[in-house]
Amino acid sequence: MNVREWALITFTILAQMSVGSFIVLGVVHYFVGKKSGEKQADELSDRALLAIGPVLALGMAASLLHLGNPLNAYKAVTNLGTSWLSREIFFGVLFAVAGAVFAVMQWKKIATFQIRNLVAILAAVIGVALVYSMAMVYMMPTRPGWNLVTTPLAFFTTTLLLGVLAMGAAFVANYWYVQSKNPGCASEQCVLLRDSLRWFAVASIVLLGFQFVLLPLWVALMAGPATASAAMLVGEFGGVFALRLAFVFLGAGVLGIFLFRAASSPGQEKVMGTVAYLAFALVLVGEVLGRFLFYATATHFGLQ
Amino acid sequence: MAKQLAFHFDASACNGCKACQIACKDKNDLPLGINWRRVAQYGGGGWLPHPTRPDLVVANNIYAYSMSVACMHCENPACVQACPTNALTKRADGVVLINQDQCVGCRYCEWACPYGAPQFNEAKGVMTKCTFCEDLLAQGQNPACVDSCPARALAYGELSELRAKYGTENAIEPLPAANLTAPALVITPHRHAQASSKGTGHLLNGEEL
Repeated sequence: MNVREWALITFTILAQMSVGSFIVLGVVHYFVGKKSGEKQADELSDRALLAIGPVLALGMAASLLHLGNPLNAYKAVTNLGTSWLSREIFFGVLFAVAGAVFAVMQWKKIATFQIRNLVAILAAVIGVALVYSMAMVYMMPTRPGWNLVTTPLAFFTTTLLLGVLAMGAAFVANYWYVQSKNPGCASEQCVLLRDSLRWFAVASIVLLGFQFVLLPLWVALMAGPATASAAMLVGEFGGVFALRLAFVFLGAGVLGIFLFRAASSPGQEKVMGTVAYLAFALVLVGEVLGRFLFYATATHFGLQ
Repeated sequence: MAKQLAFHFDASACNGCKACQIACKDKNDLPLGINWRRVAQYGGGGWLPHPTRPDLVVANNIYAYSMSVACMHCENPACVQACPTNALTKRADGVVLINQDQCVGCRYCEWACPYGAPQFNEAKGVMTKCTFCEDLLAQGQNPACVDSCPARALAYGELSELRAKYGTENAIEPLPAANLTAPALVITPHRHAQASSKGTGHLLNGEEL
């Protein structure tokens, strides 16, 4: 592993986290808007929305470190007809633009609630296209350990898992901010934030279950066409693989249960905050290790 | 003008001297670590009790042969499809070329190619690859590798003509199966040739490729 590969790990993880955060925030905004009205929904999500942009920008900046000749980076969208890499960059830039347009509209309350919603849905669809093309970049017959159905499934699971827990951390920060302005936190905002955090906890446990089906499936599917990759994953990199599983299990599963409990009982704010931050940190490290293994265990079909 | 230029490699004539690899490196002034043409050595077999007198005779069926490998200038080039900047193009005569002014150095073509043809130049930050000695071709000369072979194991020409003359073999170990990219290559097999993906041996000089 070198700087170039760490650049890819950073880019894919951060871009997926930003897409996931955007989608999770959109879903929360929709349900809260239905339940408690537009104003409460906006207040709940506006500050968290602003955290997504820098994450994506950082990821895209990191992707430049992957290039031998970054001065030509702007040319990398010129082969949309056949190159998934071109499509990935195209959708990445498009998601950044659509997300930024929506963030400005939402922040300054430009246009109606409905129009803003349409822009948000458009940005989310572009985000899904981005994650899909990110996965398709790796679906090549010369890379048998990647050319499996588990690659897109794993990328989308990472997207949602990091999205849920990143937004969990953002909502906790928001909770403390609201509480500092309104001691005791008896307002509807605090109730909505706690409700959302409970749902985040449930979602992270469900996604963890899905991931714990996907990972063994990946190893099983690799065993045929990419025997060497499968052997590396459980042999040479077995320790990292175990850590990766442990971090995600602790973060999304065990701390997910604690988060649900803490968010269910008012007066547990401090525990709730610590647990949400820790869960996000553990899962982030677990996912970075997972992406590291994805690259580190790759094998090439044919001569290299 | 040719529609699809191709190489012919006569594995039964090759003695593994690697003059083609050196001629290519010299002509194209390639730095350390980059070899557009490489000679892969493949072998296998072992010692086995003889079927008629297993108690008395242990015979060997050890074999080895060489495979001279460069860019296959494929009919369906995976590198050209993968390249995000259109730096890789396939010319009307079938030759696959890279325009380094257009290359972003992402190395995605390296992942896509099953023959290891596009190779990264660390110093320049861009990819490099076999040009079929297009400059020599334009002067009516042969590619450097073809002219350097003391065994006359390398030739080039129009793919359809080479196939009419030498057959259609293009997938011998250690090369991968030809269905991925349709390589413009015609092989006259060595007598011990193993079909791609069905070989009983292994690559013997992986570390020098």
